[in-house]
Amino acid sequence: MLGIRPVSVQRPMSALPSVPAGAGPELPRFPFARVDPLAPPPEYAAAREAQPILPVRLWNGERAWLVTRHEHVRAILADDRRFSGRFGQPGFPTVTEARVVVDRGERAFVGMDNPDHDRYRRMVTQEFSVPRMRALEPEIAAIADRLLDRMIADGPPQDLVRAFAVRFPSLVMSALFGSPYEDHEFIIGCAVARHGLTQTPGHAERKARELVAYVRRLVDRKREQPGDDLVSRVVAEHVLPGRLTADEFAEIGAMILRAGHDTTTNMIGMGTLLMLRDPVLRERMRADPLEIRRAVEEFLRVVSPVQFSPRRVARVDVEIAGTLVRAGEGLFLLLASANRDAAVFPAPDAIDLSRPAARHLAFGDGIHQCLGQMLARIELQVAFAALLRRLPDLELAVPFEALRFKDDMQIYGVHELPVRWAAA
Amino acid sequence: MSGAAGRLAVRVDEHRCVGAGQCVWVAPQVFDQRASDGVVVLRDPHPPHALEPYVREAAALCPARAIRIEEAPPSAPE
Repeated sequence: MLGIRPVSVQRPMSALPSVPAGAGPELPRFPFARVDPLAPPPEYAAAREAQPILPVRLWNGERAWLVTRHEHVRAILADDRRFSGRFGQPGFPTVTEARVVVDRGERAFVGMDNPDHDRYRRMVTQEFSVPRMRALEPEIAAIADRLLDRMIADGPPQDLVRAFAVRFPSLVMSALFGSPYEDHEFIIGCAVARHGLTQTPGHAERKARELVAYVRRLVDRKREQPGDDLVSRVVAEHVLPGRLTADEFAEIGAMILRAGHDTTTNMIGMGTLLMLRDPVLRERMRADPLEIRRAVEEFLRVVSPVQFSPRRVARVDVEIAGTLVRAGEGLFLLLASANRDAAVFPAPDAIDLSRPAARHLAFGDGIHQCLGQMLARIELQVAFAALLRRLPDLELAVPFEALRFKDDMQIYGVHELPVRWAAA
Repeated sequence: MSGAAGRLAVRVDEHRCVGAGQCVWVAPQVFDQRASDGVVVLRDPHPPHALEPYVREAAALCPARAIRIEEAPPSAPE
């Protein structure tokens, strides 16, 4: 494994730099603040150069390691033998007190190691397969067009986040999953309660349980009246034959609903902003659909909206790039940092459509790599193509400096994106 | 080059596969996903060399490292 070695018994431990026991105040406090809203905190680039496995202090005084280089993030995420992803275990790092509660309550496979992870994941993988997503593409495109019809009819100016970026993935998830569209605000509220950085532990826990209970009731309804949707199919294929209990499926369904509503919304908002700020990029995307496909991958790379996941705990003592990480210590795998690693992406801060295909890690890597990534890719391609076609003269309706970014959330994005266009 | 010498040898590990779909996304001529559980299906275990960049990309992107490309049988010396 590149750059990662188990520590042999012969090797003198004292020769390896490690976090000194009892060392406290001198460790930097994580998370860091952004300076540029369109770039990760500057500490990431500094760490990639000087100390790629960086020790930090967390909100509760505990220590954790930040993994900042692409090479090491990939290697650790691929190595589920030596690094555990089980949520809530001792040493599993968190960014808030609420997240501790959320992690302890997580029952879906996102928080499991193998073999359990694969057994559960395979019961829903087919629902997000490439052939299934390709087949859904016309319906996804029709949903985007209907929303833009309405936006255009209502006229400028509008908040693109509210009018499009929230509603579009919500409508797609509703059709795919089988949850009534009118419930999307409740579902988004549950996602926000999980991903916020300022919510109370009690609120986060309550909303997590509410969403699971919601899916559990949906399972009962679909048992009675099956439809052409994910819940009905999984109930028929796995719950009724007894391979999966309704309660287990409720946990998995809650995870899918949350993920499907929040992340794509943020990528549409941020991607649109990047497109509006770069007229040359926008012309290239308009001229060639293949460039939209490449732009989506670059947007995913430079935005990397998932900020404080994935996380792992070392199962054994390992040496990574000369740093000793002891068994039981926690690591944050910083996707946003890995995705700006100049060793893999020359001139990493620039959006470059000629880069070789998707080596970015915005969807993670290893066994936990995003289940819904093909849906996300198709949604983003459809969204930008539809915006370019239907609103060719779209522009920001406020100065860039007036935008509010999601520094208060674990999933990064923009809260509102006021836009205008020449009304017909 | 002709016949087997002009083709790659691809192997997939169904046990490791997590069904992320990266291989089907970049090389649909070679990879598919099983309808029952989304696990990789090798449509063509000996794809032509023209597809090699796509197959290598699929192997590089596979999150479960479940795709192996074996060296093709040696072609005639130059």
